[in-house]
Amino acid sequence: MTGRTVLRRVAAVPTPDGAQLHAVVDGSDDAPVTLVLAHGWTLAQAAWDDVAALLAPRIADGELRLIRYDQRGHGRSTWGRYANDVAELSIDQLGADLGVLLDELVPTGPVVLAGHSMGGMTIMCLAAARPELFGDRVRGVALVSTSAGDLAPAGETLAERLQLKLAPGLVTVAIGGARALERVRQLLPPSHPRHQKMVRELLYGADATDRMVVAGAEIMHASTVRAFAAFYPALGDHDKRTELDALRAVQVEILVGDSDKLTPQRHSRQLAQALPDAGLHLAERTGHMLPQERPQLVSDVLERLIAAAVEDRAAA
Amino acid sequence: MTGTLETQPAPAAAATGTTRDVGIAIIGSGFAGLGMAITLKRRGEEDFVLLERAGDVGGTWRDNTYPGAACDVQSNLYSFSFAPNPDWGRSYSEQPEIQAYLQAAADRFDVRRHCVFGADVTSARWDDAAQRWLVSTAVGEFRVRVLVSAAGALADPTYPDIPGLGSFAGTVMHTARWDAEHDLTGERVAVIGTGASAIQVVPAIQPVVGSIAVYQRTPSWVVPRTDHPVKPWMRRLYRFEPGLQKAIRAALYLLREFLVIGMAKQPRFLRPVARLAKAHLHRQVRDPKLRAALTPDYTIGCKRILISNDYFPAIAAPNAELVTAGIAEIRPHSIITKDGVERPTDTIVLATGFHVTDLPIAGKIRGRAGRTLAEVWADGMVSNRSATVAGFPNLFLLVGPNVGVGHTSMVYMIESQLAYVDDALQTMDAEGLAVLETKPEAQEAYRELIAEKSRGTVWLAGGCASWYLDEHGHNTTLWPDFTFRFRKLMKKLDRENYVGIPAGTDRTEVAA
Repeated sequence: MTGRTVLRRVAAVPTPDGAQLHAVVDGSDDAPVTLVLAHGWTLAQAAWDDVAALLAPRIADGELRLIRYDQRGHGRSTWGRYANDVAELSIDQLGADLGVLLDELVPTGPVVLAGHSMGGMTIMCLAAARPELFGDRVRGVALVSTSAGDLAPAGETLAERLQLKLAPGLVTVAIGGARALERVRQLLPPSHPRHQKMVRELLYGADATDRMVVAGAEIMHASTVRAFAAFYPALGDHDKRTELDALRAVQVEILVGDSDKLTPQRHSRQLAQALPDAGLHLAERTGHMLPQERPQLVSDVLERLIAAAVEDRAAA
Repeated sequence: MTGTLETQPAPAAAATGTTRDVGIAIIGSGFAGLGMAITLKRRGEEDFVLLERAGDVGGTWRDNTYPGAACDVQSNLYSFSFAPNPDWGRSYSEQPEIQAYLQAAADRFDVRRHCVFGADVTSARWDDAAQRWLVSTAVGEFRVRVLVSAAGALADPTYPDIPGLGSFAGTVMHTARWDAEHDLTGERVAVIGTGASAIQVVPAIQPVVGSIAVYQRTPSWVVPRTDHPVKPWMRRLYRFEPGLQKAIRAALYLLREFLVIGMAKQPRFLRPVARLAKAHLHRQVRDPKLRAALTPDYTIGCKRILISNDYFPAIAAPNAELVTAGIAEIRPHSIITKDGVERPTDTIVLATGFHVTDLPIAGKIRGRAGRTLAEVWADGMVSNRSATVAGFPNLFLLVGPNVGVGHTSMVYMIESQLAYVDDALQTMDAEGLAVLETKPEAQEAYRELIAEKSRGTVWLAGGCASWYLDEHGHNTTLWPDFTFRFRKLMKKLDRENYVGIPAGTDRTEVAA
């Protein structure tokens, strides 16, 4: 074969508590900068595939190394110490996982991080727990369709109060009955039009194509009822609104769709207020699945972060 | 390149220069060769040798020592009928246990003193004047009256023709030439192939390797493996009441024979098996994309149906990757696929199977006309009753053309053949024949019988390319019918299809 090839290796990154994180590393180890992509709740690294495809030429040219990985309990990654009990599971754990992944796969050199939804919260948790990483190592961050906190219902209406009261019990029931629920889930596979309609209405904006919706539905279908139920309370508990200081040390770009129902714009505006130097990009007619719906916008933003990260190094 | 591509056992002794005269020479000491030897021993025949290229008996089960190597057929059925073993540790045995069984059988029937180890056969030539086979081996010459080739179909590994394979700087191992000394811990391992060996070796090595990439051309149909340990009380019961083990063996045989209805008669009867395989995949693999890549597009049974409970989980493990883009090239430290992705690789495991439709032994056996069996078979393997070939007098083939089975125990087929060959040998003795040779018409008729039986079977009509078919698309390897029909056909020598020359006469033919 002549022409450019892209180096690829698969790594199972072990965490201290015995979980294994499935990562795919594209590109040469001596590329000037590494981009790490963290996916969202009940998704997997495949959620970034469209963005990765746009970045492929940079990887082939040796200008970029790309790491996609499956978050704990998602995709091919295992549960570690939460295999039997998810009560203590938090997004902080995902932040710690990302730290382990960086230590293992990117021990040196500049890094750009991008996180979608729960993946964005993962980055905030890492910034809160290990602020020293941000600045010289992590030089750019993209926070896509995400939130610094305040996701749980406020408990102002009766319905919300009921939801808050019932949620812990429901989560326990869901995890206990995961096997039965999985079976019920099989009755409405992603190929089913009703399934696609539900997914489209909840997650996608007006311009999303059927191909996008099916691809997204398939990724979510591959994740477990257990992941859905276990991370639900963890997302509600996530609150890093007062712990974003480390992110002020790096260039941050915030992206959100105007029709996002899961993490509506106000969450991104809150982030932008807390990080006054950050850029805020509002994508029109776009839902929660922004990396799939607007891959060009995301890759343009990432290209800028990558270029800036490399320039920083040249300057230093 | 290091590795096991070219390793052959060293000859046990140098050629002596003398020629040994023996009644019967058997090539190979696997299930077929040992079975032949034991059959001869049991009726008091002592004038024979087993020519074995390696240093021990066992054949395929001696050579395939890769991690996870095991049999797809329950041991109660996959064993000699005349040597039941009440001590099988599992319902489906792993390679070491089967190899130990064969070694024990060789000892029990006192076959070892007939074995010549290191005797790699380099050529066998029929001397028409002397009415003898002249067999040259790595350890000397043998002049024999009858030659039995029990060299088998899963004997010589095939190596894929991939550009650059020879330039690979890491280790290359064929599953049938496994190097147990080579430590795979933490390595980046590539497995090429997704057949019966691959689905056993992948889950066995996946937990220890750093990462594993499985290069797949065609996915296999995989059904659950109902393997379990045999309880000690069950073993005692087998010992106490051998009839029980025999009954279970018979039940397993019958159950498996039902598959023939689907594979050779009415493909729709295979649909439940396909549903089982699909449900198995569905339960073990969540990712719809991975699931699609692992779903075959041909009818189940067209290629060998595989059994495994841990192959799919291993493929979906955090350190694993299924690669479906074809391999373009191998470089000293990596494998490049046609989509332009280059995967750095430390060790390549070739799970690429064996020379089945082009048996290498056929290139070494020269008949009356001076042509090799391979030359005679250039347009496809032909035989009479899978055992004899016109122009090759006093030659009997075991596990040759159209003896293979994908659904049941090969040992059953081998024992059917042993009955046939033994009846031929006894007929020669009884009639005082120096030479026995099949007629061309008989092998033509047998070819037609096989073609007729193969028509419409899943192997020809299932929409796949398998190792069962030769390059012309003919079924020359499988028995395409119920195996009890094969056994019936092999019960007695079809004397009318043979020409015999009595001893002491000079080429005077005696027809039946």
